[in-house]
Amino acid sequence: MTVTTTEHEATARDDQTHDPAPAGAAAIHDDGLVEEDLLVEDVSIDGMCGVY
Amino acid sequence: MPTTQHPDGDLTFDGSRPWMLNPQVSLRPESFGALAYHFGTRRLSFLKSRTLLAVVEGLGDQPTGHDACRAAGVTAAEFGAYERALATLARSGMICERQAS
Amino acid sequence: MTLATAPTADAPAPAPVGRLIDQFERGLDAPICLTWELTYACNLACVHCLSSSGRRDPNELTTSECKAIIDEFERMQIFYVNIGGGEPTVRSDFWELVEYATDHHVGVKFSTNGSRITAEVATRLAASDYVDVQVSLDGATAPVNDAVRGAGSYATAITAMGRLADAGFVGFKLSVVVTRENIDQLDAFKALADRHGAQLRLTRLRPSGRGADVWDELHPTAGQQRVLYDWLVSHGEDVLTGDSFFHLAGYGDPLPGLNLCGAGRVVCLVDPVGDVYACPFAIHDQFLAGNVRSPGGFAEVWRHSDLFTELRRPQSAGACGSCGHYDACRGGCMAAKFFTGLPLDGPDPECVLGHGEHSLAVRGDADPPKPSLDHSRRPRRVAVAMLPRRPDRACDESPLAGSGRDLRRD
Repeated sequence: MTVTTTEHEATARDDQTHDPAPAGAAAIHDDGLVEEDLLVEDVSIDGMCGVY
Repeated sequence: MPTTQHPDGDLTFDGSRPWMLNPQVSLRPESFGALAYHFGTRRLSFLKSRTLLAVVEGLGDQPTGHDACRAAGVTAAEFGAYERALATLARSGMICERQAS
Repeated sequence: MTLATAPTADAPAPAPVGRLIDQFERGLDAPICLTWELTYACNLACVHCLSSSGRRDPNELTTSECKAIIDEFERMQIFYVNIGGGEPTVRSDFWELVEYATDHHVGVKFSTNGSRITAEVATRLAASDYVDVQVSLDGATAPVNDAVRGAGSYATAITAMGRLADAGFVGFKLSVVVTRENIDQLDAFKALADRHGAQLRLTRLRPSGRGADVWDELHPTAGQQRVLYDWLVSHGEDVLTGDSFFHLAGYGDPLPGLNLCGAGRVVCLVDPVGDVYACPFAIHDQFLAGNVRSPGGFAEVWRHSDLFTELRRPQSAGACGSCGHYDACRGGCMAAKFFTGLPLDGPDPECVLGHGEHSLAVRGDADPPKPSLDHSRRPRRVAVAMLPRRPDRACDESPLAGSGRDLRRD
């Protein structure tokens, strides 16, 4: 998965997920584990197992 | 193959302009938001909110991008985040500016 | 900028969506993409063929049945299909079906050994935005490739690649199955792809179909897996993998991809007779979800089959639960475990920590499950001498010529 976004959502709500990202941190290129406050993720269409 | 990606990598979303879903994109609603697949670039975007889906679906009918955000119920506190999300979609060619009629 | 309207009131705050893979593991209402094996017929007889292809099945879907399935894919908004086989281009209605799919908003990528890619075909393909091509090759040189895919197959693939490049088709895929015999050729494969303006794709050998017969000899050694992992990390997103190496995430940073088994969750297989399996590497009754010819068609199978419902439940780590790497590697590949006779809730046979090797050593002598179908054109080889050999006669049409094991004489 190509994580190309680096923006963050300034959420007005409590982050209920188990892995909140610190405000202002850059998005990490850690495929599959992306900050929950990003509204858009890019995924390589070749990036899911089970297809030729 | 022709590219439909926006040439400006630093594009920010100009919400005062009219926008639209790129005709080469298939937008598929999901429970979590939507999937958007660009047939030209073969990239897949994962929209993580139903509100963002509503914004994108409304772009073509609204006079400006900001109008589409408001019509979809984006709150003041969320506006910046939605603008950045739309900028991402513009950069990957999922949405594009439309000619003002 | 000022807002003219007040924010909407009373709407409950939606829960944050969380990780992409968590969503996908629960399954979607429609696949994102899927593999569609169009025919079991093939002009080649690759030793590791995951679908045991060769002979057409008498019960294959008709042209109009295929179009009806494409109509379903369109309704479900499946974004694209990867059409394979066998060799899909040997079906006389192949081009008609490709056009029907693209006319109906279903993108097509097809896998081919290149034998029907004429210059004219290449020109047509280069002109279409909605069709992608994936040429199969398993050696960067003829001896290495032809030992697996048969005499002349290297030349056929290279010719096809040249025609696609000459026609201006930028970015078609060169798809390679990584084996013990070609692991030293990774740079050469990359150069080959670059030379043709193509994108390199490396995928994992699974013990599926005829692959079970050659798995012991052909699957990379532990040391070679490490080499492969490092090479893939250094090439990043330049090299595609179809997410097939997510079991290597146990080494450290995951590779680009979802690192998720998509079988039955976001992808699946439709086979030439309309059977729907979780994945093309799992053609076995255990992973058969249903058939598109049943009432409700493909959509009914995708949404309501017992198998897919089960796969979309949270999977337990089982024996891998005590290993700190499970979050990264997810226990590896279901098909690899199944066809080596390992339990599905334990380590992958190629677990990078060696847990799979241990499991294989203690599993006992019972034969692992065999594929449910076999369309091979001749008796399957039991053991294969993989040293490259020159063909006995340059014009011999048998893919097995030169191997010293011409089974026509058996």
